[in-house]
Amino acid sequence: MIRNLIGKIYRWAQKNSLWVLHFNTGGCNGCDIEFLDLLTPRYDVERLGILAEGSPRHADVLICTGPVTRQTQKGIWQIYSQMPSPKWVVALGSCSNTGGVFYDSDTVLGGIDKVLPVDLYIPGCPVRPEAIIEGLIKLQERI
Amino acid sequence: MVQKVISDIESEIGKPYQQLESIINEHVLQIPSEDLRQVVKVLTQKHGYNHLSTITAQITKEDPDYIEVLYHFWKGSGFTLLLRLEKENPVIDSIIDFIPGVDFYEREVAEMYGVHFNLRDGTPPLLLPDDWTEGPPMLTSEKE
Amino acid sequence: MEKITIPIGPQHPLLKEPLSLLIDIMGENVLGGDLRLGYVHRGIEKLAQTRNYVQNVPLIERVCGICSHVHTTTYCYAVEKLLGIEIPARAQYIRALMCELERIHSHLLWLGILCKHIGLDTIFMHTWHNREMVLDIMEELSGGRVSHAANKIGGVRFDLDQDHGPMVVSILNKLRVEIDKLRDVVMYEPTIRARTQGVAPLSPEEIRQFGVVGPVARASGVDVDFRRDDPLPPYDQLKFSVVTNQAGDAWARTLVRVEEIEESMKICGQILQDLPDGSVEIRASRRVPAGQVVVRAEAPRGELIYFLRSDGSDSPARLKIRTPSLTALSILPKQLSEIQVADIPVVIAGVDLCIACADR
Repeated sequence: MIRNLIGKIYRWAQKNSLWVLHFNTGGCNGCDIEFLDLLTPRYDVERLGILAEGSPRHADVLICTGPVTRQTQKGIWQIYSQMPSPKWVVALGSCSNTGGVFYDSDTVLGGIDKVLPVDLYIPGCPVRPEAIIEGLIKLQERI
Repeated sequence: MVQKVISDIESEIGKPYQQLESIINEHVLQIPSEDLRQVVKVLTQKHGYNHLSTITAQITKEDPDYIEVLYHFWKGSGFTLLLRLEKENPVIDSIIDFIPGVDFYEREVAEMYGVHFNLRDGTPPLLLPDDWTEGPPMLTSEKE
Repeated sequence: MEKITIPIGPQHPLLKEPLSLLIDIMGENVLGGDLRLGYVHRGIEKLAQTRNYVQNVPLIERVCGICSHVHTTTYCYAVEKLLGIEIPARAQYIRALMCELERIHSHLLWLGILCKHIGLDTIFMHTWHNREMVLDIMEELSGGRVSHAANKIGGVRFDLDQDHGPMVVSILNKLRVEIDKLRDVVMYEPTIRARTQGVAPLSPEEIRQFGVVGPVARASGVDVDFRRDDPLPPYDQLKFSVVTNQAGDAWARTLVRVEEIEESMKICGQILQDLPDGSVEIRASRRVPAGQVVVRAEAPRGELIYFLRSDGSDSPARLKIRTPSLTALSILPKQLSEIQVADIPVVIAGVDLCIACADR
């Protein structure tokens, strides 16, 4: 029973302070600048406890934008393996979900789910900041 | 103005060149690939055509055994040099000692079309991934 | 002291795009750098050959998210020249209005990122908050904040009605007040000046040799602006001045871009005042006659050049794009060879990188 309580407190603390690492695996920057807009005063995700981090070792959530190109493939695995568990992966934008408009190019592998296990898909081209906030709240509810 | 430049080039090198009307917005001069360095020297050092916008390479349907290489200069108006290289063995001299900024353009043409550039220390790949082994991508499946 | 090589790898909090830099340092001095592009190479030139001209417009828009409108504008002008049609004057003015709004938003974005790298997070928050006003205008006109889908072959997709003009003018007036405050802070704040003055100067000779274009060239005194020198249709009838500076260092680049925001707002005012009446589109056929064309335009980062060849069918035979970020990257290793370690973020941010543009 004590274990249950401790588990609940642990999950409550974790979901209210998700630290996010952002990685662009080959996208056009549209989704990136909409993601950076979340840190600015109009959308302000810090009130949800979400902070943008710089190092994989401090992060809980990996947010990926852009289709996976052949050159960034190994880099993604290294970053994912450096993140401590429990960790989640969010695919942002249609390029990251399925490859987007570049799906049939020779140097593009496709969406991020060809390389990593994805927990949440957020569609859009580019994604609106309101959609990202809704997606992150859904992720919080799932924890 | 541009006609004066062209006649000056022709008199410096000593032979006439063909002017084409093939590109809208640009004056086009076709030169053989051996004369590239001399023509670029006259253009840059004597007439001040310092700005090279880019180098384009293409294979046309009408001439599928040749690679056309276009050097787009600009000074008030556009001026293009057109060269034709054999597709089986495309070799051309580099102009990197006249214009150091052509480094990236030459590397891109070399990796996309397989063109070899003399007088420079090799052309390391610029855009293609490290594990690319399929050969120059623009040569395969060029539009029929 | 021995030489150490620092890898600034594809994922780094400094860069929001993947780029690999290897910087050699000894003590506090930077000796040089090497860079590896290609992480964002999606093969757009080859993809453009497999789709037809109309399907290429959304593809070209996604070459870069920050300067997406000017890419489609140049592409549409190239196709229209091959078709031999001229779009109505009202459509030309609307295209220029979106181009100038995009220039304002791109320079504000850059200013925020530069101040964030210096360490002044408050200015980052303020500039991006002001940038939201410009994105509101673009959303009101076209429906999208970052990717507008404003252009189509033969004109633009939407029209301005009589309320839009005064609305845009009132938001731009509010923005002008905010930009004046920002300009005062940027010019008189001693930290920004101390971090950027004298860092990595470029002489006009080096600019010419490396073919650098855009605000970086204008900050060293090279007076070239393709809106004035090789204008696409409405710019030959608009009055504006080209901002240059003689110093050539990072401080000069900052000043040039801040002044350019002011010039762009004036151009927007002129466009809205002189907007001609008429339709905004003209019918364009799907099959483009054979021919070749070169079109140049002034993107927020410099000269953008498109080469298009058509062979009479309904998809392009060859499309070649050269973006201004590629020229700025070619001079980056040289700029990295005369500075201290603490200046590395200032130099990289001052160049205004857009790797997605450079790699295509």
